[in-house]
Amino acid sequence: MILTTLETVPGKNIIEHYGLVQGSTIRAKHIGKDILASLKNIVGGELTSYTELLQEAREEAIERMEKQAEQKGANAIVNIRFATSSVAQGAAELFAYGTAVKVE
Amino acid sequence: MENILQISLVLFLLILGYFFGSYREKRHFRNLQLREKQVLNMPIANIGRNLPADITETKLVVGIVVISIDYFKKISAMLRNLVGGRITVYESLLDRSRREAILRMQEEAMEWGASQVLNVRLETVAIGGRFGGKTDPGSIEVIAYGTGIK
Amino acid sequence: MSIKYVPKELPIDDNVNVTRRHPLKNFIYLLGTVVIISIIIFVLLGYTASWLATRIGADNEIRVGKLLYNTISETEVIDDRRIYYLDELLHDMLDVDEIARLPLTIHLLDTEIVNAAIMPGGHVLINTGLLQKVKSENELAFILSHELGHFQHQDPLKSLGRSLVVVSALAAVGIGTSSSSGGLSDIVSWTGELTILHYSRNQETKADEYGLARVINHYGHGGHSLDFFNGFQKFEDGERQLSQVSQYFASHPENQERIDYLNTLAVQKGWNMEGELTSLPDWIHCPDMDEEQCEAEN
Repeated sequence: MILTTLETVPGKNIIEHYGLVQGSTIRAKHIGKDILASLKNIVGGELTSYTELLQEAREEAIERMEKQAEQKGANAIVNIRFATSSVAQGAAELFAYGTAVKVE
Repeated sequence: MENILQISLVLFLLILGYFFGSYREKRHFRNLQLREKQVLNMPIANIGRNLPADITETKLVVGIVVISIDYFKKISAMLRNLVGGRITVYESLLDRSRREAILRMQEEAMEWGASQVLNVRLETVAIGGRFGGKTDPGSIEVIAYGTGIK
Repeated sequence: MSIKYVPKELPIDDNVNVTRRHPLKNFIYLLGTVVIISIIIFVLLGYTASWLATRIGADNEIRVGKLLYNTISETEVIDDRRIYYLDELLHDMLDVDEIARLPLTIHLLDTEIVNAAIMPGGHVLINTGLLQKVKSENELAFILSHELGHFQHQDPLKSLGRSLVVVSALAAVGIGTSSSSGGLSDIVSWTGELTILHYSRNQETKADEYGLARVINHYGHGGHSLDFFNGFQKFEDGERQLSQVSQYFASHPENQERIDYLNTLAVQKGWNMEGELTSLPDWIHCPDMDEEQCEAEN
């Protein structure tokens, strides 16, 4: 599966498109990590547990989007966009969407 | 006595939230499937290049939906926040909110007579418990927008 | 867009963006995990706190006791002969070679609520409502030595330490007081309360044992000392509206259970549970007014 944020796949020809595909996930870390992170907030620095949380969420969102593209029979997703929202406090909601296409 | 009252209030709201919430969710998913079939032939994409040469008209088409989070989902999500992991109860909520917003956008485009909707963008916003009370779990707003072309 | 569009339907039963998991099963799993972990944390913290609380030293305990006593809103009856009587009875209950950890002070509170309590620093609180209900000195002696037992076991300090820990733990998690957390704070704080309740039931049983042992020591028998609970049981069954009454007994084991347990204990220890009633002074129901007025009221 070719994933790109461009509108085209360079060097390849898009022959068909199947509309929008989307993948989303919403995850949280357990309370222990939340408390540690709030302590870390006092001294500053990277909150590794939250970086990790976003990393996991991103991977899962992309994976789900790819799966949806596969269900539509696509072999590439172009113009991928990410969006985050805060539906629940302390949770990461990541949403990835793009246009499923077939290239040759 | 006060505790028993509180417990029964929470239980009552949980049960109410669960039964009405899942009934409405099921109904909404069925409704979505039906309507998605009707707009299946309306192409949508989030790319905007390679436009056909014969475009006569364009229009901004928007679909907005606000869906409330029920009490059961809210409490489940809060417990999940303590334990960590995937908040599964919100997944279905987000999924149907997005699909509903896209559908409304497509329906608007179809009514106008568009041949396709291009450069579609989606935004999600949480409108959280305005009154901050126990019975106000908040809601999710999704907006889908794009350019319809003829 | 000039690219050819091919409509493709997504499979209905395989939505990639929704995890297939029954919401109720999910909920039960989460609730179970949270409750079990909270119990473990509360128990661990509770033990540490009560252990620490008993180590604050006599001076600090007196200071804490004073602070807490000042929060009481009921008016205290002062310079009343009933206070001297209660004080004497309380000190009589101590074993010959036993001394109270700290000097004990009796406070007689003017309220109808049937209650007796002990605070850190040796403050023994007796409500006038309780004095209206007791029928014999034996009953009163048991209640007083029950409170004395709590004091000698440092129960008030331990409970204070525990509740402080539970409150601060909840605050640290940020769900103690915020109303926006909905029912969640209730779930966790109920777990905390139930854990405390479990502790206090243990303490009650220990205080009961101590109390009965002292009563036996003083009177040579346990007769009539438990009548209060017997009478109370009937009373409670009869009149439910006295909710303040049940408040006192909320952390206490069921009255009947209590009596049964103490009777079994008496059999085991070979204590005599039959004996003569020692009556209360006539003026126990009355404020410190002159005799005629008191008789007129009764």
